[in-house]
Amino acid sequence: MRGTSFTETLYGTLRLGADGRDRRVRLDLRAEADEVLRPHRTTTARLSGRLRIAGSGESPDVSGELEISPIARRRIRYRLSFRLGGRSLALDGWKSVTWRHPVTSMTVLPFTLYEEGAGVGAGTLCFPLTTGLLPFLLGFRFPRREDPARYAAPRWDGSPGRTEVWYTTLTDPATGTGVWLHHELTAPADGSAPVAHGWVATFPREGKVRHARFGPAPWPVPGPADGFRAAGVTSTPGQLNGAAGDFHWDLTEEALDAPLFTFPRWSWWRPLLPAAHLLPAARAAYHGALHDGERTLTLRAAPGASARIHGHGNARRWAWLHADLGAGDVLEIVAATANRPGLRRLPPLVFLRLRHRGRTWPRRPERSAAGLLGVGRFSARIDGPEWTATGRTALRRIRVEVSRPADRTLALEYRDPDGSRAVCRNSEGADARILLERWWGRWRTEAAWTLHGTAHTEVGDR
Amino acid sequence: MRTRAPGRAATASEGFVAALLGDGGDIPWAARVPARFEATLAALPAPVRAAVRGGVAAVDAYARVRTGRPLAALNAGERESVVAELGRRPGLVPLLDLLKVPVLLAAATERAAPAPAPEPPKDPPLTCVPAAHWPARSRADAVVVGSGAGGAVAARVLARAGLDVVVVEEGEHHPTSSFAGRAPLERFTDLYRDGGASAAFGNPPLLLPVGRAVGGTTVVNSGTCYRTPPHVQARWSGRFGFAPADELGVRLDEAEALLRVAVQPLDVLGANGRLALAGAARLGWRAGPLRRNAPGCAGSCQCVVGCPTGAKQSVQLSVLPDACAAGARIVTGARVRRILADRDRPGLPRAAGVRVERPGGGAFEILSGLVVVAAGALHTPGLLRRSGLGGHPRLGSNLSVHPATSVAGRFEEPVRSSSGVLQSVGIEELHDRGILLEATASPPGMSSFVLPGLGRALRRELEDADRLAVLGAMIADRPSGRVTGRDRALVRYALHPRDGRRLLTAVRAMGQVLFAAGAQEVLTGIPRAPRARDQRELDELLAKVTWRQLHLSAFHPTGTAAGGADPEWAPVDGAGRLRGVHGVLVADGSVLPSCPEVNPQLSIMAVASAVAHAHPT
Repeated sequence: MRGTSFTETLYGTLRLGADGRDRRVRLDLRAEADEVLRPHRTTTARLSGRLRIAGSGESPDVSGELEISPIARRRIRYRLSFRLGGRSLALDGWKSVTWRHPVTSMTVLPFTLYEEGAGVGAGTLCFPLTTGLLPFLLGFRFPRREDPARYAAPRWDGSPGRTEVWYTTLTDPATGTGVWLHHELTAPADGSAPVAHGWVATFPREGKVRHARFGPAPWPVPGPADGFRAAGVTSTPGQLNGAAGDFHWDLTEEALDAPLFTFPRWSWWRPLLPAAHLLPAARAAYHGALHDGERTLTLRAAPGASARIHGHGNARRWAWLHADLGAGDVLEIVAATANRPGLRRLPPLVFLRLRHRGRTWPRRPERSAAGLLGVGRFSARIDGPEWTATGRTALRRIRVEVSRPADRTLALEYRDPDGSRAVCRNSEGADARILLERWWGRWRTEAAWTLHGTAHTEVGDR
Repeated sequence: MRTRAPGRAATASEGFVAALLGDGGDIPWAARVPARFEATLAALPAPVRAAVRGGVAAVDAYARVRTGRPLAALNAGERESVVAELGRRPGLVPLLDLLKVPVLLAAATERAAPAPAPEPPKDPPLTCVPAAHWPARSRADAVVVGSGAGGAVAARVLARAGLDVVVVEEGEHHPTSSFAGRAPLERFTDLYRDGGASAAFGNPPLLLPVGRAVGGTTVVNSGTCYRTPPHVQARWSGRFGFAPADELGVRLDEAEALLRVAVQPLDVLGANGRLALAGAARLGWRAGPLRRNAPGCAGSCQCVVGCPTGAKQSVQLSVLPDACAAGARIVTGARVRRILADRDRPGLPRAAGVRVERPGGGAFEILSGLVVVAAGALHTPGLLRRSGLGGHPRLGSNLSVHPATSVAGRFEEPVRSSSGVLQSVGIEELHDRGILLEATASPPGMSSFVLPGLGRALRRELEDADRLAVLGAMIADRPSGRVTGRDRALVRYALHPRDGRRLLTAVRAMGQVLFAAGAQEVLTGIPRAPRARDQRELDELLAKVTWRQLHLSAFHPTGTAAGGADPEWAPVDGAGRLRGVHGVLVADGSVLPSCPEVNPQLSIMAVASAVAHAHPT
């Protein structure tokens, strides 16, 4: 299901209190609805924004609700609450749409201000049609609105030769320690009973990496409906707990963003690729406690993310990066060479997804992996403890350099459903440098991030 | 003609007024009548004004054809001969009677000595906000459309239940102090919709005045407070399934207490009422002073233009102050354009508020999930139609109006009916036959009774009007009317023959009472049979006329959005909720299922209270 988001700026006047003076007002709003805006129906959207009143200061935290119903109810109603000069005020106004005056009625917003339920002011806001219409229309977006829990449910259908992973990586902001929780279901290719296993690892800033495995244990029949529940370990939406060796943990997960599809969305539901990877929530915050035998981490809003993999096995070679860039931005990269005959010689396919300022670039995952009919594919160079990924679209390019410190790296052996083995080198305390540039006469830096010990990365080969 | 400035030609109106009143320049007060006549016309709606001016122009044209000069250029004798010729044409007399009404209003006003202005009392406080000062967007828990008997009570009930109530009233707030010192006619044109010229079209047509002010028609009614008769309550409850009728007793008690209803004491009853009592007593008929909501009535005889002493407990003095004390606010001078309804929801649409027009242009809106319609039986259907909620086929039909007529008796001694209680005595002898007689003396010229004659004859009648006692009769009618129109109410009323016969019976009965009280003659108000000197002569006259020739008024429109259990018959359900929408209640005279057979203020208030109480708050 898709939602709707747009921004709107309104200008006007306000008469507040008994002074009888009109003050100029500017209201900047961002509206987000959980459904696609249908003009003939009623759509309710959340509003957030900023209100500026000449001579009375501004309120940067305006929030409220927008009722969009220009045809069904002939009304577009704004209900906002904000604080101004120590007062809690509420704005209630609506455009009353009429076919007799379509332009005026769609652009003029009379409103009343309330304080504790009593009217304390009134005014009128106008949408500046000549200067505001084009940005307003171009700013409309219809992002998907999905429940992250939908992607936590197991995808395994009983077929042999499948593997499925629930993994979570996070960084404790208090100690800088990285945490890796890996839960895996393997259905051997020989048709024998599926097994559940996994491991947990910590990557302290000082000290050696610790890890412990759990399982293998039989995969329960019938399987869980909401995630991984086996070997005394649970990874379900919002909840992560279990014990392995000296480790025990009990964490809650708070999704902070929409899903991020590293691979094309269709590949998750139609498994035509050797594997598919996604993040049910591009960013998440973790709360709770984890003990690794030496230390106990008490996590409060620790940034990280959970991811899901479903496929036939591990790649021939791969590199992975999850980088929380702050301010809601996140970068996810999977660069992999498939382990199928004929594909093994190809350079890695790079699936790069950058969520920056609420938008995801490149717009489609296929763009970075396949380019435009094979031209302009993003590239990755996987070389020892460092690897890089680069790529460009028409007006934007990116360069990602990842460095995995040897003392904060954990090497583990993976086993595919067919029994073949691979080695992964993982670090939840890696460094990364990311340079995003935009073409405007020449390449100009759009954003640059440097992560010291907070990037999560893995490189695997055979 | 003497007020005319030198060198200014006399207008057609001046000529017409002089002709109609037989003015030869010898009547001191007559010189002021044309200006008053023009002022009265100015307050009338454009179509009525155009019709009167057309009539005046037609009479003037007749004078030109007969004499070669307009009425204004003729001398008194020539004018008299012109109107006499017109008066000899029987077909024209009813039309001339219609033209006489504004002239008589103006003449009676100028002729009457200015009443002494009583000390203006202090009204209980109301929270009134003129429409111009109301914000363009606001919200409320309940909006009540209309502040008359029904709207005021609904507002009071809802406000006292804790809801934020806004009452939207098309009229203005006229405090008691504004009545003192102003001529009744000026107040008349201010307080009535269309300057008091609203009418029901039919054969015969009926004058149907309704109030338009904060307090609605209760500001301008006579203050008579009859409880709903038990047989009417039983009919509403049993035959129509109208639930408010089940608890009407309690609600009537409540309304009577609010209005401080009591039997009118005899001390200020006035000669008009005493003569009615005397006549009825001689006939052995059931009669007595009416129960009224006017404690301390001073007998100003101006109920129908706003009580100048504040004795009459119109709802603006008794009910609305309670509502305002509980937080209700009244927006004045605001006409509800439409009820807003949200239609994009499962099931029925839901009321969302009202869109209201300001007098000088522009509009404001109030959002509210509950809208109580109390715009009166004539205007509730139009409001619902222009809101898209008037889909029920019977909306606007079922109109009862209490057709009424008046008869005057001339007595030897001055009656001075302008002093005393306006509607003082009820004669209920014929009530079980649907006829209610009430001694009703209106301010000069405002009675539904029209003096006979034209020219000097009319003037003599006018000068002799102090010796007239007036009785009125209203009948319980069949629902023979219909209100159509969206923006303006167009009322059609086809008097049922049974009701016509009742009216003739009522005229005869009133003549009986007046003769029994000692009247020298009775003026019937019927153009073709204007006077009778005894009962036998009256009976002979009435034998020659039909009910279509009666001069009729009506005062109590009800039933146009009738409540009842049958969804096919009643636009409003048995609990007062408009069918086809959620959140719209009807709480005025329009929701009464049938004619209440008595002055309806208490009935409307009681029903409105029951409807508002039944709504979960």
